[in-house]
Amino acid sequence: MTRPAHTTRSYTEILEYIGAWVLALLWIAPLLYAFWAAFHPSEYSTNFDLLAPLTLDNFREALSQAPFLRYGINTFLLVTMLLAAQMVVGTLAAYAFARFQFFGSNVAFGLVLVQLMITPEILIVENYSTLAKLGFVDTITGIGLPYMASAFGIFLLRQAFKSTPKELEDAARLEGCGMFGILMRVYVPLARPTYLAFGLVSISHHWNNFLWPLVITNSVETRPLTVGLGIFGAPESGVDWSIVSAATLLSVAPLLIAFLLFQRQFVQSFMYAGIK
Amino acid sequence: MFKLITKTMAGIVAAVCLSIMAASLSTAAYAKTKLTMYYPVAVGGPLTKIVDGMVADFMKQNPDIEVNAIYAGNYNDARIKALAALNSGQPAQLSVMFSIDLYELIEQDAIVAFDDVVKTDEEKDWLKSFYPTLMQNGTTGGKTWGIPFQRSTIVMYYNKDAFKAAGLDPEKAPASWDELVAAGKKLTKSDGSQWGMMIPSTGYPYWMFGALSMQNDQVLMNSAGNQTNFAEPATIEALQFWKDLGSKHKVMPDGTIEWGTLRKNFLEGKTAIMWHSTGNLTTVKKKAAFDFGVAMLPANKRRGTPTGGGNFYIFKKTTPEERSASMKLIKFMTSPAQSANWSMQTGYMGISQAAYDTSELQEYVKGFPYAAVARDQLEFATAELSTYETGRVRKSLDDAIQAALTGSKTPEEALKEAQATADRLLKPYR
Repeated sequence: MTRPAHTTRSYTEILEYIGAWVLALLWIAPLLYAFWAAFHPSEYSTNFDLLAPLTLDNFREALSQAPFLRYGINTFLLVTMLLAAQMVVGTLAAYAFARFQFFGSNVAFGLVLVQLMITPEILIVENYSTLAKLGFVDTITGIGLPYMASAFGIFLLRQAFKSTPKELEDAARLEGCGMFGILMRVYVPLARPTYLAFGLVSISHHWNNFLWPLVITNSVETRPLTVGLGIFGAPESGVDWSIVSAATLLSVAPLLIAFLLFQRQFVQSFMYAGIK
Repeated sequence: MFKLITKTMAGIVAAVCLSIMAASLSTAAYAKTKLTMYYPVAVGGPLTKIVDGMVADFMKQNPDIEVNAIYAGNYNDARIKALAALNSGQPAQLSVMFSIDLYELIEQDAIVAFDDVVKTDEEKDWLKSFYPTLMQNGTTGGKTWGIPFQRSTIVMYYNKDAFKAAGLDPEKAPASWDELVAAGKKLTKSDGSQWGMMIPSTGYPYWMFGALSMQNDQVLMNSAGNQTNFAEPATIEALQFWKDLGSKHKVMPDGTIEWGTLRKNFLEGKTAIMWHSTGNLTTVKKKAAFDFGVAMLPANKRRGTPTGGGNFYIFKKTTPEERSASMKLIKFMTSPAQSANWSMQTGYMGISQAAYDTSELQEYVKGFPYAAVARDQLEFATAELSTYETGRVRKSLDDAIQAALTGSKTPEEALKEAQATADRLLKPYR
């Protein structure tokens, strides 16, 4: 009786392994291709030949067409500033929505959720004129400002705070914690996996955002990496894949390296967020 | 005592005079006209550098004008950026934008007609100095709204080595649809390693289709931009021919063909013929490992291709000084010498006969005759599809073309539907 059960389990295990491998390969294929194309002359960008000569010319060419270092610094400043602001705003708003009943709290939360349903691209012209009135056109703050009150972040943190047992809060109150103390000592530490997960999503989203930064910025001093990458898009003539790949690698390298370094923490945080 | 007072007085007067002079000097510096110009990048290569170089040359010649040239993404992004800036009162005086954005820009009341900006007779003559075909997308209602800058047409690139191998004369490109099919059959290898030809059908299907329908002696829209001819018999026949190339004659892969990778396919010998923008010329010249040729597109009832690319526009919210400074800049950028230089560096075509008359471009064409194919083809060219509600009208045609090519609808069904959609969209403008 135990034997068939055992084989079924190993069958499912094998299937799971295959599935995981297929998905992983699918996911990583574009990246592998980018590596292949970036380091080989363009004749080889669609021909696989193990003996193809390696070259750094594509990187040289890409770097000569746009100041990627400066763009990299801009992107870094943008995502750090944005993430910091989102964390502060998100934490405070989520705490209010999760634990306090105030006049109109449900309506206010509903409005926050509505923000999730509107694509930011529709609001480009409106956001632009608001920022123009505030004098933020062509600044890094200007790129980040419309995204600082992230509805996604507020929602995610609210759910995390709501699922924290109320007893912990009561215990903290008995120990003499105030409203703010409870937030900082109970809710925030317990929601760490959520913070990490949200941080990852936020950073990768804003690292990759293109249209809005392109519209709101005018100069090299403020433009992020993606706008530099846009120069290689060449919709009218078709793309030179080798150079695009090299430029893409330049743009994603910092993110990729950071992910590889902190991979364990990321995976763990997702596991926590998942099994909760 | 008196002396001291006069001395002080003199000192004060001198100081006041000096400061007034300084002030007037600084206002003189301040009176520099500032221009903000947006431009898109639509072909590969270091275009931003070329534009920056041209603008720097202009400012050297015109120290009283300061130009801030801003790269604004592709054509769509450039339009969004320009309109967003205009709506919020940010400075922008002129822009290079897609030639087919004309009606939308007019509808938004964003641009001013050049007829209202030109003053002298010399300037009026200047308006007429460009190839008339290139002006078609920039004129409507008897007025000129756009000045051609980065312009292209579709041309036929072919692999001469493949022609030789298939027993075809490499100096004689197919000149009619029948010749094209016949050559395609010889060029197509049965093992699928080489196709006879490829016409891209993603990205800009309406553009390629503009060529086919023109060759069948049918333009896709009227010049008022409020009527399309998608369901005309000649249009349907043109789409049927496009479909037949793949499904009946088997000289082209069945289904849709990717725009972005087509050049790669051509350079690797996967297709012996490709139809593509002249914007590819410089790259193909640099990268082709085989002998290649460039020819005009073939004819059915006549030859034909749409023009493409970007025009200069001047925005409406500008002062008279800014307008005349913008005119100066546009005149400089489209001058024969600059246009010739731009054409050689990018593969875009020269925009006036005078550009091809410059010794530089003549020299270049002598060494590389294919650089003049696009110009010679202008004689047969027509405007690119551009109407009111242009984005949605264009999409209805794109969808129809792709539906027909993938076989989910017959060309007739698909085009009739597209025409119905266009009629509905354009009704308010008639």
